[in-house]
Amino acid sequence: MTSYPTLAAKNILRHRTRSLLTMLGIAASVGVLFAVLSFNQGFNEGLAAELERTGLHFMVVPSGCAHEVAALVLHGAVIPKFLDTQVMDHVEATDGIDLATPILVAQLPDQERGTIDLIYGVDMEALPAIKPGWQIDGRMPRSPHEILLGYEVAQHDNLKPGDVFSTPAAGIELTVAGIVGLTSSQDDAFVYLPIATAQDLLDYPQAATAIGVKVNDPAAIGAITDELTSAVPGIQIVTMGEVMNSVSNLAASARALSLAIVLIAILISAVGVMNSILMAVFERTQEIGMMRAVGASRWDVFRIILSETTILALGGGLVGILIAVLGARLIEAFVRSVMPFVPSGDLIRFDPVVALGSVVFIFIIGLCAGIYPAVKASKINPVEAIKG
Amino acid sequence: MIELRQIQKNYRRGAEDVRALRGVDLTIEKNELVAITGPSGAGKTTLLHILGCLDQPSHGDVLIDGVNTATMPESQLVKLRREKIGFVFQQFYLIPGLSVFDNIALPLLFSKKPADRKKIEGLADMVGLSHRLDHAPSQLSGGEMQRTAIARGLVNDPDVLLADEPTGNLDSENSEKIFTILKNLRDQGLTTIMITHNAELAARAQRSVRIRDGRVAA
Ligand SMILES: Nc1ncnc2c1ncn2[C@@H]1O[C@H](COP(=O)(O)OP(=O)(O)OP(=O)(O)O)[C@@H](O)[C@H]1O
Ligand SMILES: [Mg+2]
Repeated sequence: MTSYPTLAAKNILRHRTRSLLTMLGIAASVGVLFAVLSFNQGFNEGLAAELERTGLHFMVVPSGCAHEVAALVLHGAVIPKFLDTQVMDHVEATDGIDLATPILVAQLPDQERGTIDLIYGVDMEALPAIKPGWQIDGRMPRSPHEILLGYEVAQHDNLKPGDVFSTPAAGIELTVAGIVGLTSSQDDAFVYLPIATAQDLLDYPQAATAIGVKVNDPAAIGAITDELTSAVPGIQIVTMGEVMNSVSNLAASARALSLAIVLIAILISAVGVMNSILMAVFERTQEIGMMRAVGASRWDVFRIILSETTILALGGGLVGILIAVLGARLIEAFVRSVMPFVPSGDLIRFDPVVALGSVVFIFIIGLCAGIYPAVKASKINPVEAIKG
Repeated sequence: MIELRQIQKNYRRGAEDVRALRGVDLTIEKNELVAITGPSGAGKTTLLHILGCLDQPSHGDVLIDGVNTATMPESQLVKLRREKIGFVFQQFYLIPGLSVFDNIALPLLFSKKPADRKKIEGLADMVGLSHRLDHAPSQLSGGEMQRTAIARGLVNDPDVLLADEPTGNLDSENSEKIFTILKNLRDQGLTTIMITHNAELAARAQRSVRIRDGRVAA
């Protein structure tokens, strides 16, 4: 044995269960800290990438809570308000527009089946751009009467590609072309169909909830949106930048809240560490007295005890990061289930800087938690301790 | 050589003053084996701790090789303990998580010396534990634990070995082994001071000092 850390490590091993539990407390809080910190990064990057991939520059939506609407259309939600039919004509007639694609999101009650289907009508050509993260079992619809099913819909109705999807509208027979892989978001609950078919089902030609627009020259976005809003009443325009901002603001406040909770958890686990080390010090009073007698100074004792805390904190920190990295997919699934708009792709990415930062942080917390027990230990009077 | 002059040690116990040592004069020559005896509570352990620079007297002088330690600060006392003193206790106080080897080497950690394997093996051999170096203290008998503790007390090459009832927890056979080791150490030039309640062992020491009511009894 050559060093204080080795001695400290061997001391820790004397109470395996207690040390393990203390470490787990640290690991859990560091893991969550790391996850929350990495999450925001992954989230914003994912969001930017996703909005980029849609290839759309802005969305025209009915005026109201426009940002949410835009986000929800991207994500799939029902808005009980349609754009006026002439809006599409206006948009298409505007100069500088490369592509305008209507999107129709609606509820479709089916009395016969006693269900309400959520339908998402879209130009099937544009769909891969709007939902770039999707895995499809089967293939994309090619004809007006072919559709895609969200994962839950397919599960619920027990449908496979090639099956017939019944609708309340007479004379319209729909075939399932493909099934969207599990996204763990509201997307799973939708039926995706060509927009014209959706309009037919609703018996509302030209209906649209939103219009996704791509312009020829991104520099002209400002001019085009100004022109559109003044020309067409009852609409609002949301650019992808704005959607990104409002969604990432939402994510940021969620993150601030989780960070606060994580910090409290870390504080609690630090108290756990302090308690566990204090117990170890009290149990070893006689042994500490012996060490003083055989040549340990107060400072030596202080360092041994502080090393024990440091090992617990560092060990817990590293295990925590490992757990967070391995459990990242679980955390993501949870986040997807509670957040209204979550980009596809990895939300939690391993960033060595964030990992190192988390470990350094817990190391410092551990040091702070270790100081009190270490001071206590260094103040043990060897003469009294040895008498035991 | 160690010289105690008019050593007094007072403790406060609540409102009451305990006078543990009441003027002890004692000279211990180099290379002596001294047994300290006396009734319980007489002040033997208190005296040993003062001899070992672990405690300070309330009054009086402690001269170790001519240097007075009675008023030294703890930072200098700890150096003296590392360089000149070895301690052995009745309850052994081995560290359960460490092997016999590491327990013997422990004081080297504090005196910042490398754990010289040869030296530790030599000490283990001297106390008859060469075959036990990798064992945990829990695998040892009481006698073996105390022999480990003696090796630990010697690892810093002290001038003086102080043992507080080293055979107090051992049967007569193991006590005999410990005593033999202490005697051999004395023959090799070590000053050894041993508190004991065992009159027979005390009689076999070179000198026996009896403490009673905080004083050296005639
Ligand atoms: N820290 C202390 N506070 C108060 N009184 C103390 C303290 N340490 C020792 N004493 C008292 O000093 C006296 C001498 O104690 P000491 O331990 O030196 O006796 P001892 O001769 O070693 O006895 P034993 O044979 O039982 O070990 C006792 O009366 C004891 O109660
Ligand atoms: Mg005693």
